[in-house]
Amino acid sequence: MFKTIIVATTIAACSSAAAFAHVTLEGKEAPVGSTYKVVLRVPHGCEGKPTQVVRVQMPEGFYGVKPQPKAGWTLETVKGPYEKAYDNHGSKVSEGVKQVVWSGGNLPDDQYDEFVFRGTIAADLKPGEMMYFPVVQECPDGAKERWIEIPAAGQKAPDLELPAPGLKLIHAAN
Amino acid sequence: MLLWLPLATAAFAHASLNSTEPPDGAVVAAAPGVIRLIFNEPVSPTSLKLTKPDRSSVPLEDVVVKGNALEITPPADLQTGTHLLSWRVVSEDGHPIGGSFVFSVGHAGGPPPDTAADSGWPVWAGLWTGKVMLYLGIFFGIGGVFAIFWFVGGDTATRKPSLIALGIGSAGALISLGFQGLDAVGEGISLLFSGSAWRAGLGTSLGPTVIFVCVGFALAALALLSGKGREARWMALSGVLTAAFSLSLSGHASAAPPQWIMRPAVFLHVAAIAVWVGALLPLMLQLRTKSPEAADSLQRFSVFIPFAVLVLIAAGGVLAYVQVGTPSALVTTAYGTVFLIKLVLLVVLFVLAAANRWRLTQRSRRGEPKAISMLVRLVAAETLVMVLIFGVAAAWRFTPPPRSLVSQVQRNVVVRLQSPEAAADVTVRQGDGGAVSLSIKITGKDGQPLDPVEVTAVLANPQAGVEPIRRKAEKIEAGWTVPDLVLPLAGRWSLRLDVLITDFDITRLEGEIEIRP
Repeated sequence: MFKTIIVATTIAACSSAAAFAHVTLEGKEAPVGSTYKVVLRVPHGCEGKPTQVVRVQMPEGFYGVKPQPKAGWTLETVKGPYEKAYDNHGSKVSEGVKQVVWSGGNLPDDQYDEFVFRGTIAADLKPGEMMYFPVVQECPDGAKERWIEIPAAGQKAPDLELPAPGLKLIHAAN
Repeated sequence: MLLWLPLATAAFAHASLNSTEPPDGAVVAAAPGVIRLIFNEPVSPTSLKLTKPDRSSVPLEDVVVKGNALEITPPADLQTGTHLLSWRVVSEDGHPIGGSFVFSVGHAGGPPPDTAADSGWPVWAGLWTGKVMLYLGIFFGIGGVFAIFWFVGGDTATRKPSLIALGIGSAGALISLGFQGLDAVGEGISLLFSGSAWRAGLGTSLGPTVIFVCVGFALAALALLSGKGREARWMALSGVLTAAFSLSLSGHASAAPPQWIMRPAVFLHVAAIAVWVGALLPLMLQLRTKSPEAADSLQRFSVFIPFAVLVLIAAGGVLAYVQVGTPSALVTTAYGTVFLIKLVLLVVLFVLAAANRWRLTQRSRRGEPKAISMLVRLVAAETLVMVLIFGVAAAWRFTPPPRSLVSQVQRNVVVRLQSPEAAADVTVRQGDGGAVSLSIKITGKDGQPLDPVEVTAVLANPQAGVEPIRRKAEKIEAGWTVPDLVLPLAGRWSLRLDVLITDFDITRLEGEIEIRP
């Protein structure tokens, strides 16, 4: 048993994306004020069951959202009001896509897929802060995996059981 | 832009448990030959522990890693009842995860509660017989010796019943110890002659009682042997006091609060009974044999006995009041029924005693033969009724007093858990064998009503090495409930409620609950 632990830890140290259960973002950082492509990586289903629905909630400050369709999945968006108005190429937008839903698909537990959407990060957000995209995976028989926890002050994402995928905001590129 | 951030990804990576065999909460007909934990990736076990229905824990060492699953061979002799398997493993990234799940063999629940359900009728009969023999020994034996030296003028011609009673009492004390031990460990009568039963009996509160009562028997016997002197009187008195003390060390009544009233009340009640009952046979013998001292003995007895009876009734009243509690308990509980029977017998006894005292004592003292023979017969009747009362009182060993039934019902604890977004009031109801049910009311911050999508209860006992066990709460009209938890260990458990306020919003409320044994 001891030997197994050593082997397991070695594998862990060497490999990175080899085995992970959480839904995460491919890119970890993005400049404020930029248009950014969010890639959600879905490595697992729910307790071994295939993923059939993926729902992402757009955080406040991420606007002008356009999701990428996926073959075999039905793409829907849920629109709603933003908390404040944002400047989109000169015109003000105060409502838009708040939730993106890919449904009707079937991603088995032993397969991997990415779900992509694009949007603009508001220029008046503070660099150094995190932006979180809560994701819910839905599987058959009502099984769900939720990656929806946002760290409170003083908490770090690795401390959470169900961390939402997070994006670190950095200074605007000049 | 950095292309490869192995540390950042590895930091989030945990394995997770997909399913178990038997499934969480399942009831299987026979003990499983192999238990499987199936994860979503290969893991290595660091700790596996099985808590059995009798609350003992064993580590599980016979485990094999087979692909994504752990195959555990449990110990061969799994009892019926609910088991809790607590697991802790390391996933490939080195991060530990843990959890617990329960499964039941045969039926859910723990071993039967400790009211001798396992021991069976022979043990109960043994317990009752031992107790009655003990009472006979204390009241006719030690009480009889007291009466010999304090009422009948040291007339050792009347000692025969007392000697026999002392013998019966000593045997009864020993028998009680053995059967009490059997009852305590829940074994059948076949183990009566094993040391463990006797050691278990000594370990209960009956142990000190038996020790002191044997001291009492010894004092009484010594008093008889030492003849008529002053020492004999004081030894006889010490015998009664020791016996009364010994009975105040065990039993429902002695254990009841408020202790500072109950234990002395038992002491006084027993002492008074000993004084009264002890005198019956010596007096009867003296009257029958037309001993010249009979008149004086009767006189001494009837002068003193009212005080003893007063103490008896007062102490008995206090005991009854605390134990029975409400008048309705007299008819609704087994304890109350036994008390009513005893009460009926007591009424008969007091009628006999009153007849003896007010109609026959004076005439017998004067020597009227008809009065004397009537008195002898009525004292014999008193003796018989007393023996019946002992038999009935011994039955109380098997009935919990209403006050303890009430406290069992009141085994509800309400805990308030809070988080910035919500608050929860959790009522923890404890049943037998570790069965626990939770009733949960959730409110939003500032007391607004909250209608969560889902509520999950997570309980862990880190001190006992029990990993978190999860149960989804069911929505009912009054809130949420987790009806069928089994927490087989007493002590402090951490309780966490994961409240899903909306699909994308979860808040966790943490607290602790105390599970009583």
